[in-house]
Amino acid sequence: MADIEIRVNGESHTVSVDPETPLLWVLRDHLRLTGTKYGCGEAQCGSCTVLLDGEAVRSCVTPVSDVKDGEVTTIEGLAADGGLHPLQQAFLDAAAFQCGYCTPGMIMAGAALLNENRQPSIEETKRALEGNVCRCGAQPRIVEAVMLAARGAGDA
Amino acid sequence: MRDPRKDLAWPEIAPERYEVFDGPARDLAVSRREMWKMLGAGVLLVFTERLPGAPSGELLSTRLHLGANGAVTLMTGKMEIGQGARTELTQAVAEEMRINPAKVSVVMGDTGLVPDDGGTWASLTTPQTVPVVRRAAAAARGLLPQLKAGEQLPGVVPADVAVTDPKDWRVCGTSLPKVDGRAIVTGEHQYSCDLHTPGMLIGRVKRAPAHKAALESFDSSRAIELPGVEVVRDGNFLGVVAPDRATAEAALGRIKAKWSTEPLPPADKLGEHFKATAREPVFRKGAAYPALLEAGSIADGMAAADETLESTYSLRYIAHVPMEPRSALAEWKDGALTVRCGTQVPFGVRQELSEAFGIAGDKVRVISSDSGGGFGGKHKGECQLEAARLAKAAGKPVMLEWTREEEFTCAYARPAGLLEVRSGFTREGRITAWDFHNYNSGAAGIRPPYDLPNFYCGFHRADSPLRQGSYRSLAAVANTFAREMHAGEIAERLGMDPVELRLKNLKDRRLREALERAAERFGWKGSKGGGGRGSGVACTIEKKGRLALCVELEQDSGGVRVKRMVMAADFGAVINPDNLRNQLTGAMIQGLGGALFEELEYDEERITNPSLMAYRLPRFSDIPEIDVVLIDRRDVPAAGAGEAPITLPAPAIGAALHNATGEWRRSLPLARGGG
Repeated sequence: MADIEIRVNGESHTVSVDPETPLLWVLRDHLRLTGTKYGCGEAQCGSCTVLLDGEAVRSCVTPVSDVKDGEVTTIEGLAADGGLHPLQQAFLDAAAFQCGYCTPGMIMAGAALLNENRQPSIEETKRALEGNVCRCGAQPRIVEAVMLAARGAGDA
Repeated sequence: MRDPRKDLAWPEIAPERYEVFDGPARDLAVSRREMWKMLGAGVLLVFTERLPGAPSGELLSTRLHLGANGAVTLMTGKMEIGQGARTELTQAVAEEMRINPAKVSVVMGDTGLVPDDGGTWASLTTPQTVPVVRRAAAAARGLLPQLKAGEQLPGVVPADVAVTDPKDWRVCGTSLPKVDGRAIVTGEHQYSCDLHTPGMLIGRVKRAPAHKAALESFDSSRAIELPGVEVVRDGNFLGVVAPDRATAEAALGRIKAKWSTEPLPPADKLGEHFKATAREPVFRKGAAYPALLEAGSIADGMAAADETLESTYSLRYIAHVPMEPRSALAEWKDGALTVRCGTQVPFGVRQELSEAFGIAGDKVRVISSDSGGGFGGKHKGECQLEAARLAKAAGKPVMLEWTREEEFTCAYARPAGLLEVRSGFTREGRITAWDFHNYNSGAAGIRPPYDLPNFYCGFHRADSPLRQGSYRSLAAVANTFAREMHAGEIAERLGMDPVELRLKNLKDRRLREALERAAERFGWKGSKGGGGRGSGVACTIEKKGRLALCVELEQDSGGVRVKRMVMAADFGAVINPDNLRNQLTGAMIQGLGGALFEELEYDEERITNPSLMAYRLPRFSDIPEIDVVLIDRRDVPAAGAGEAPITLPAPAIGAALHNATGEWRRSLPLARGGG
């Protein structure tokens, strides 16, 4: 057990946990940020995707001690001021979900892609999301949502 | 005189077991002795009295509440599992009450608050619950002028209440976005795993090392050294509770348990196992999915045939893999139990809990959240029962979340099956005899859509090595696969176009249109196979929907890649076109996984691929171009569409593979081992 300070969604938190504890469980159990989901525990489904300094990481296999020096962003902190991030709006516009369980992870993975590449192609988008699973089969709409958000970013 | 006890003793069986256990219907054709014998075969039966449909006479106040500012609350036992029920039911209320959908909220799956609408299964929400809700809402509208906000709606739903003609729909028939969409994209939407209550403990279950095992002894002395840990044993159940996740995990690792195990028959001998344990199909009047359908004479049909064909098809067990693993938060208070969870069948789970603990049904309250996927997998109360056992022993609320591995190894599987088909047909392509036998996987979808003068379609129950149960569309995946593959084989034998062969044997006007429109949109007439590229077609009538699918694929040393899928679908009047498209597309993608690579693998002891690393699911790179043609028929009642479209990818892909390579692969998954 150790006291570990992490920054999540712009705020500092100190948690008393084993340093090897996956970030996912610190977010969910300690900070009650339940938008980040458990899906597999082995980085194979992407439901737990969060941003670490703007890049996508799988929080289920990321020890909390590894994020001490970075800024973690979860789905709850993606948009500013209670509004929606363009990709969240695009997911609504494309109705890019059914059950919605994979959605936060998809949006975070998509946001990471757009951080790095403002105008990804369809193929680049599919590659970036290959590690995220949607069991309901909303993949075509998810790609469409990323394209919509990218188009919006291009116009801006 | 009618014996009222008969209704209690023989309620209509819950549909969730119909595909593997088409139970005794109300006609009591089965003797009680036979019933116990069947129970003794190891099938756990849960009878639930179905109330779906409650056509009239239902108290309005159990269905609808009026709140302040014109807000209306609908109460239903149906669940939202991603299929769009919450939105569709919102549309039904708004339509009939002539109010803005934003004024409607829907309370689902709280057995303390809502009526029992039956399980969220068998694509029944649209054809059964939507009409009930529309009638109640239409009745409520008539009463609005004389009611104040908050006042209870009086009386019952009259039998003769008029509902809006679909031709005049203003809210139904439009693509109302999912009502909980904003909560989903912001991460605020709460699934049962997101729940929390003060003082709650974390549970874990010690699992056996084999699929079939009994607990002999255990040593928990090192586990209970950890602070706040309790170990609970109840028969073969062994679990822990702890103040937090890490402690529960550590405690589990410190328990030493000894199990006696029973071997599983080899997976590659599954077909022989099914045949060796099979029972003859029996026709039961009134069964929702009859195990035996017959017409004419197979002998006559074979005598009239110019050619005959025999083929055997098979399919392996697969897993549902909802992205949200099961979880349950159980709490006991004064002898009453409350379990929060995500289930497709809240009242069924309530009954399981009531029976397991020997307490009255009204002492159990199941409150179900919207589920992160179900697909027929969340019918039973395994996780809920485990959480309740732990909570009872601990005397505190307990949250139990299954791991992904537990999802694979502790939930029931989609049944495996063996299918034998024998047909006779004329040179002109008329099928004169159809002899169809399904071993183990079930009776749903066994009735061919074709106009056949002589047929025998039988479902032979068999013993299943793995625990099996319901799945999206039940056995219709298996039966449609074998039937449509065989239709393709007949066409090949005759050198006839497979679309033409089907049309020669199809009377159903709506299915003919769906098939013709799918073929037209796909460009079927110009498609040619060979050299690793191929096209395939399949069609069906399923849950009253008519649908046809054409696919195009490539096959080379890198494996099979589906390039394009074109579906034409007629589900009667379309309540929400965009949601229906989403459903159809999603089911096609899920069907593609089952067709090509999904399989629960096991050895003589246990399931050997219980992880997303090992169990191959459809991913972005697997997704073909998908096109959907919707045929909206306002003059035909809306059919449920959650299941039907999953039945077509396997036979269409199988036919396309044959078209590409000349080989009929008759076993699912078609690309086993990456080929």
